[in-house]
Amino acid sequence: MNEPNGAVNEARPVQVSEGRTARKEATTLRNALLEARGVTRSFGTVQALNGVDFAIHPGEVVGLVGDNGAGKSTLLKILCGALQPSSGQLLVEGSPVVFHSPRDSRERGIEVVYQDLALATELSVLENVFLGREQRRTGILGRFGILDRNAMARDARETLDSLGIEIHDVAARCGLLSGGQRQAVAVAKAIRWGSRVLLLDEPTAALAVMEAEKIGGLVREVVKGEVGVVLVSHNLPQVHELCDRIVVLLRGSIVANLHREDTTVEEIVMWITGAARSRGN
Amino acid sequence: MKEDRVLAQPSVVATTNAGPGKTFRELEDERLAAEGVRRVARNRNFVRRLQSQGLVLVFIVVFVIMWVSSPYFLTTGNLLTAASVVSILGIMAVLETLLVIAGEIDISVGSVMAAVSVLLGLMAAAGMNIWLAAILGLLFSAAVGVINGVVTVYFKINSLVTTLGTYSIFLGLAYALSSTSTVSVGGQGFDVLGSGSVGSIPVPVLFFVGIWLVVAVAARHSRLGRHVYATGDNYDAAVRSGVRADLLRVGLFVAVATSAGLAGIIVTSELGAAAPQIGTSYLLSVITAVILGGASLRGGRGRMVGTLVAVAILGVLQNGFALLQFSTYLEDTVLGCLLIFAVLTDRLVRRAER
Ligand SMILES: Nc1ncnc2c1ncn2[C@@H]1O[C@H](COP(=O)(O)OP(=O)(O)OP(=O)(O)O)[C@@H](O)[C@H]1O
Ligand SMILES: [Mg+2]
Repeated sequence: MNEPNGAVNEARPVQVSEGRTARKEATTLRNALLEARGVTRSFGTVQALNGVDFAIHPGEVVGLVGDNGAGKSTLLKILCGALQPSSGQLLVEGSPVVFHSPRDSRERGIEVVYQDLALATELSVLENVFLGREQRRTGILGRFGILDRNAMARDARETLDSLGIEIHDVAARCGLLSGGQRQAVAVAKAIRWGSRVLLLDEPTAALAVMEAEKIGGLVREVVKGEVGVVLVSHNLPQVHELCDRIVVLLRGSIVANLHREDTTVEEIVMWITGAARSRGN
Repeated sequence: MKEDRVLAQPSVVATTNAGPGKTFRELEDERLAAEGVRRVARNRNFVRRLQSQGLVLVFIVVFVIMWVSSPYFLTTGNLLTAASVVSILGIMAVLETLLVIAGEIDISVGSVMAAVSVLLGLMAAAGMNIWLAAILGLLFSAAVGVINGVVTVYFKINSLVTTLGTYSIFLGLAYALSSTSTVSVGGQGFDVLGSGSVGSIPVPVLFFVGIWLVVAVAARHSRLGRHVYATGDNYDAAVRSGVRADLLRVGLFVAVATSAGLAGIIVTSELGAAAPQIGTSYLLSVITAVILGGASLRGGRGRMVGTLVAVAILGVLQNGFALLQFSTYLEDTVLGCLLIFAVLTDRLVRRAER
C-alpha cells in the first residue's frame, strides 16, 4: 500500500499558488499517459474550468478533490471525450489528440466510471461489462452478429472473481443489484478494459466501508501495472490514504498539487475551502 | 423521454450522501437496505412473469369467447384469413417494438402505408412496371424514415411530435394525390403479395413470421439487438460504452417506415387498388399491439414474444368482430380498453420494482 513509486517521486510536483501547476519537469522525465494543457470549459456563462493543466503518469493514483461544483466531473468528462473543452489541448503519451466522444478515448485504453452511474439496468451484468465490446461467436453465426454469451459470461465471471466482487449470477439484470453492487460492476468494467488510464468519479460514493476499502485495494492493485488512475472523491481520508498525489480544484482552477507524504487531510481541506490561498501560500 | 437524456447534472444532493462523515449506523442502514433490495428482486421477477402470462391468458380468453360465439371461427380457412389480415399490422408492430425499446415511437406508419399505396397507383397509371413501382415505393418509405429519424435524433425533437407531423403531411398528400376514381393496381403477378399463398399459408403471413423470426433472434442474441435495449434503457451509458446510439435510432426509424411501406404494398396488392384510406385504421392498432406486448414507452424493455401474442390477440378480435358483425367502431373501443389495460400493467410492473 505504501510503496512509493519511483518515477512519481522523482517527478514530484511542486505546490503552486495560482491556478497553474508547474509540472514541466514531470513531463520531461517521462511522457504522461494522459495530459490536459490549458483546458477551459464554460457552460453558457458558467466557467466550469479555467486553464487547467493536469497529467496522469504510469503507476500513479491522482486524487482530484474540490467542493461541489468545483469542476471535477467536468475535467474528467473532458479527459475522456464525453465533453469537449472550450479551449486547451489533450495529449496521450505526449502526442496531441482530440476526443470527439468516449469512443475515441476508449480506443486508447481510457476508461471511466461516471458519477452518475452508467449501467443499463435492463441488461445483465455480463452485458453491461461487455456493452460496446460484445464478443461474437466464431464462424457464420458471428458474421451475423450473434453473440457468444458463454465466453462473455466466463470472462465477466473471471473479472469479478479476480477483483473479489461478489455477484452470484453474471446473467442477472443490473436493475436487481444493490447500489453498491452496481458500482462494483461499473468499476470492474472500467478495470477490465482500461489499459492506460482509469478515471473514477466518486466510485465509492454508494459503498459501505468494507466495499469502499475493497475498491481502494483494487485501485492500488491496478496501478502496480502501467495504468494511471484519477480518483475523484469527497472522502478525504480515503483520498489521502490512497493517492500518491492530490490535486485540488477551486472554482475551475487548480490551486494545489500536493504529494501525499507532504500533506495532511487538514491541509487538503484548507485548500478546498480556499483558506490556504488567503494564508499567502 | 428526452429530458432524461441530457447529460445529467450532478446535484448537490447526489453527492453529499457520499460524505466522509457517515456514521456506522447509517452504513448499517445502507447494508440492510441492500439486503431488502435483494429480497424485492425475487418479487419483481414474479410480477414480470405475471405480465407475460397475463397476456397469454387474455389471448386464450378471447380465443375461447370467439370459438363459442361463432361456429365459423375455428375453421382452418377462417384462421388463415384472420392471420393474413393481422399480418399487415404485425409486420409493422415487430419493427415498431424495436423502436419503442430504443425509447422512440413512430405514429406515422399508417400515413406511410397510404402514401405508398397512392404512389403505386400513380405509377401504375403512368404505365410503369408494377414491381419497379413497388421498389420505388419501398425507397420512398425509407426516405420518410430518414426524415423522421434525422429530425428526431439530430435536432432532438420528441419523436411523437416529429411523426405526428409526418403522419399529417403524408396522409394529406396521399389524399390530395389520389384521384377520385379508383386506380386499379395489378398485373404481372403483383397480386401474389397480398392474396397469394405458399402451400396453404398466405404470403402476408410468411412475411410477418419471417420478419418476426429474424428480429426476435437479432434482438436477443445479436450485438445490434443488445445495443437497441441499452440505448432505450440508459442512453448515456450506451453512448459512453461506445454504442452508436444516434445512428442506431435513425436506422430504426428507417426500418419502421420501410416496414410500413411493405405493409402498404401488400395491402395495395390485396385490394388491387390504391387506397389512401387504409392509413387511418393502422395507427391505433400498431401502437396497441406494441404496448400490449409489453414494450415500455420509456424504453429499454420489451420482448418480441410479447408482440407476437399481442398481434395474435388483435387478430382474433378483428376476426371476431367481422364474424359477429359488430360495429367496427366498437372495435376501436375495445382496442382503446386494451391499450389502457396494457399501460396499467406496465405501471404495475414498474411500481413493483420501486
Ligand atoms: N452540462 C452542464 N450544463 C451546465 N452547467 C454545467 C454542466 N455540467 C456542469 N456544469 C456546471 O459546471 C460546474 C462544475 O460542475 P462539475 O460537475 O464539474 O462539478 P464537480 O466538481 O464534479 O462537483 P460535485 O462534487 O458536486 O460532483 C458547476 O457549476 C455546474 O453547475
Ligand atoms: Mg462531480
